[in-house]
Amino acid sequence: MASTADYKDRQFLAVIGDEDSVTGLLLAGIGHVTDPPDSQKNFLVVDNKTETAAIEAAFESFTEQRKDIGIVLINQHIADKIRHRIDTYTAAFPTVLEIPSKEHPYDPEKDSVLRRVRRLFGE
Amino acid sequence: MEERDVDHLLEQYLHLLHEYTRLRAELNKLQAGIYQNLARANFAAERGLRYGQDQYDDRMRASRRVVVAPLPSLSVCPTFEVVKVDADVDAGTETAAVVSKSEAGTRLVQDTNREQKEEEEDEVKEDETEPIASSAKEMKEPKSEPTTMKKNKDPLRWFGLITPMPLRQAQAQSVQAVEDIVPKLVSINAEMTQVEIEVRRARKKRAKAEAAAKKSEDATGKGEVAA
Repeated sequence: MASTADYKDRQFLAVIGDEDSVTGLLLAGIGHVTDPPDSQKNFLVVDNKTETAAIEAAFESFTEQRKDIGIVLINQHIADKIRHRIDTYTAAFPTVLEIPSKEHPYDPEKDSVLRRVRRLFGE
Repeated sequence: MEERDVDHLLEQYLHLLHEYTRLRAELNKLQAGIYQNLARANFAAERGLRYGQDQYDDRMRASRRVVVAPLPSLSVCPTFEVVKVDADVDAGTETAAVVSKSEAGTRLVQDTNREQKEEEEDEVKEDETEPIASSAKEMKEPKSEPTTMKKNKDPLRWFGLITPMPLRQAQAQSVQAVEDIVPKLVSINAEMTQVEIEVRRARKKRAKAEAAAKKSEDATGKGEVAA
């Protein structure tokens, strides 16, 4: 399991989502931009023009590079674009949670947690 | 014995799965409400105005943060919580975080001490059982610093002084989702992962025990034939 050093400084939630999802969550006060010159944001707004590589880079930054993120929220339809990364991600910190978006309601078939459940029961 | 262990673990796992599904449904409901309210706010907004990323404050600071409950032992899975952080406490922790990234030495030690004090204060606030006279003094210390500026950190202010009601409703729903549902969901996910590991271990143990029993049966059978 994780050691104390792994989770002590993980105090931010990060979001990868469409504009409405990110706006909604930022309204709760989870948005954070670090001081310049870095000015790293803890969110990524994804639209039709955003390339998969950019989403993957943001996911990698939130899960591997940054040590201050505790929870990563990602829209399920965006998680689908980097499904291989999500399904192979097994670290305890930060934890990844897929959330529904405005145009793509939650689909239990794609949920990585429920996929794990099916695997456990041998389906 | 092993069979019972596996069954017990699976029962525990199904309870967790039930809770996960329930929380999922609640999160879906809240998210749907947020999107609906945002759409209403955008519909009623002035022409050309959209409540979105163009109006985000580029110097935003998180007022709701994750706290991972300390693990009593390494075999126990973590519990997540999202708590509201004071503007002043926020400034203190931010300094500490930045310093820990860029510099080392005495400043780091001082700031870390301050952070620890503030964490203690938070605990005291949550408990509300112990006297807070000493921590109140400590609380005033960062406030007295001349460099600390008190700002309104409400994200609603990014969108203007007078914000429409649907946007405020969206914020209330979002706060509920972030404070109540998301931490519970991720905690349950962590717990489920832990139980999955235990189930696999118990199954392996059971398979080994069965193999050993079969072997001994075979051995006794051969012995009887030989006799």
